[in-house]
Amino acid sequence: MTDVLEADRRPFPTEPRARRPASRRTRWILWIAAGALFAAALGYLIPDQVQARDHYGQAHTALGVARQQTQTVTRQLDELRRDLNILKTQVGSDSTALSQDSSQLLGAQTALAAAQAHVTQQKSLITSLQTCLVGVERALNELAIGKLSNAIAALNSVSPSCTAAEASSG
Amino acid sequence: MADSPGRRRRIRLSALIVVLGVAVLVAAIWTDVDARNRSSEESAALAGANTHLATLRHDVATTQFAKAVTSAKRDSLQASIASTTSQLAATNEALANADVHAYVQGVGINTLQTCLGGVKTALNQIAARNNTQAAKDISAVSGPCTQLAGGSGTGLVYPFDFPDPSVILVGQTYFAYATNSVAGNIQIIDSNDLVHWSAVGNALPSLPAWATPDYTWAPAVAMIGGTFVLYYAVNVAGTADECISVATATQPAGPFLDKSTAPLECQKSLGGSIDPASFIDTDGTSYLVWKSGGPGSSKIWSQQLDPSGTAFVPGSNPTSLLVPDQPWEAGTVEAPNLITTGGHYYLFYSGNDWNSSNYAVGVATCTGPLGPCADASPHPILASGPGVAGPGGESVFADTAGNFWIAFHAWVPDAVGFPNSRDLYLRRLTLSGPVPTVATSG
Repeated sequence: MTDVLEADRRPFPTEPRARRPASRRTRWILWIAAGALFAAALGYLIPDQVQARDHYGQAHTALGVARQQTQTVTRQLDELRRDLNILKTQVGSDSTALSQDSSQLLGAQTALAAAQAHVTQQKSLITSLQTCLVGVERALNELAIGKLSNAIAALNSVSPSCTAAEASSG
Repeated sequence: MADSPGRRRRIRLSALIVVLGVAVLVAAIWTDVDARNRSSEESAALAGANTHLATLRHDVATTQFAKAVTSAKRDSLQASIASTTSQLAATNEALANADVHAYVQGVGINTLQTCLGGVKTALNQIAARNNTQAAKDISAVSGPCTQLAGGSGTGLVYPFDFPDPSVILVGQTYFAYATNSVAGNIQIIDSNDLVHWSAVGNALPSLPAWATPDYTWAPAVAMIGGTFVLYYAVNVAGTADECISVATATQPAGPFLDKSTAPLECQKSLGGSIDPASFIDTDGTSYLVWKSGGPGSSKIWSQQLDPSGTAFVPGSNPTSLLVPDQPWEAGTVEAPNLITTGGHYYLFYSGNDWNSSNYAVGVATCTGPLGPCADASPHPILASGPGVAGPGGESVFADTAGNFWIAFHAWVPDAVGFPNSRDLYLRRLTLSGPVPTVATSG
């Protein structure tokens, strides 16, 4: 009551208002406002922080999973690369082996072709020799009993074979 | 105006509340910011980890693809290697076979050239009228020529023209005689083991004046009264008559001398007499068996010889032993050869066409040297078979151990008919059964 009375004695417009202590109501309003503001701030900050922590937790969990997967995939990749290297080594050695085998095969085929040609040539020579021998033996038998003309005919019939045989024999 | 203690207390309380509130707010803000920062960092780390993981997964996928491609390439290479190895093995095997084939061919060529060389040389010797040397030339290449004729597995022992063989054993040496060919009028070869035979030469260097040169065949030799007696078929000069003559020698290798002025036997009315063979019975009595006539009228005869073996017993007459009566004989029986053992008489003979692969050997049993005889079997005991064509002209003899053998001539299957050669074969003969059997190989 004293403050109110003192305020009433001062000239109204000339008294500096700032110096006047806030009224009780105003202070309550200020306190309420401050409290509301505080509550609002906390109301924002706390859920936000909870959300941030949840987000963090999810991210952390996901990161853990990701890192675990990364380790798994890294191991898988390492194994794959090791397998790939082994395969590449095998391919390299197989390529070399194939090259060698192909070279050997080519050589063997060439040798076989030459051998077969030799066999064919000898077969022809054998045929000529057999034919010639038959004719010469017939001529021998004919001449042995005095059949000179028959002997000559027998020789003439195999003359080409005998000539071929002599040519092949060198 | 001084503050009252209550007011100061309220002010302090208010200030404290404010400070606490601010502190709470600051703490809340700080922790919120911190939580946000940590969340952001974690998110960033997660993003980085996910990126890294994605990169790794991409690498994994890429590597898996590379592995699959490389694996496929390796599999393809290994398949190629397997295929190439297989081809190489097959090629090497073919090459080895070709080499073996070529080697065998080379041996065959060498054999052919050796045989041909001997035959050519013999031909030249005959052209120079040196039959004995010609016979020695072919005899020298008997081994190679035997291989060319199929080898000795068939019983082939002399792979040259040696028809109508007749084999005797003198001491430890076997002498074989044959129709005129390379060696001359009557060929002789000898052997100590029945495997290796060598040319001796011409047993009958000269013919009697009544004989036609180059027409002497089917000889048979026996030792009678200490003399070697040669019977042979021969043509009479200036005629087509086929007759039998006889020559003698002091040695089995000859030379045999025919002093006759006429044939020993010549059944002109029956178509002539050929294929003589001597037979000496267990009592020492000697006989001559032979064949008369041609296809459709042939007949086998027997007649006793005198002690010299060069003539028939005076007053004796030929006795018919056998006529062709079996289908396989096709009207011809010839080349008789009579033996006795164990009290039995066996008359071996040839039937059918001599110049074909149908020629074969049959056998009849007789009650004595002059018959009668009857076929022991309706089938030949020796006919064409593997490596042998048209066997015939047989001669049965015993070796030094008493084993019986049959000597015969035959064509090589792909060279049947004169002027191809009738080579000499030897096979074991078994006389223990009702029908004599000839071994199927030499």
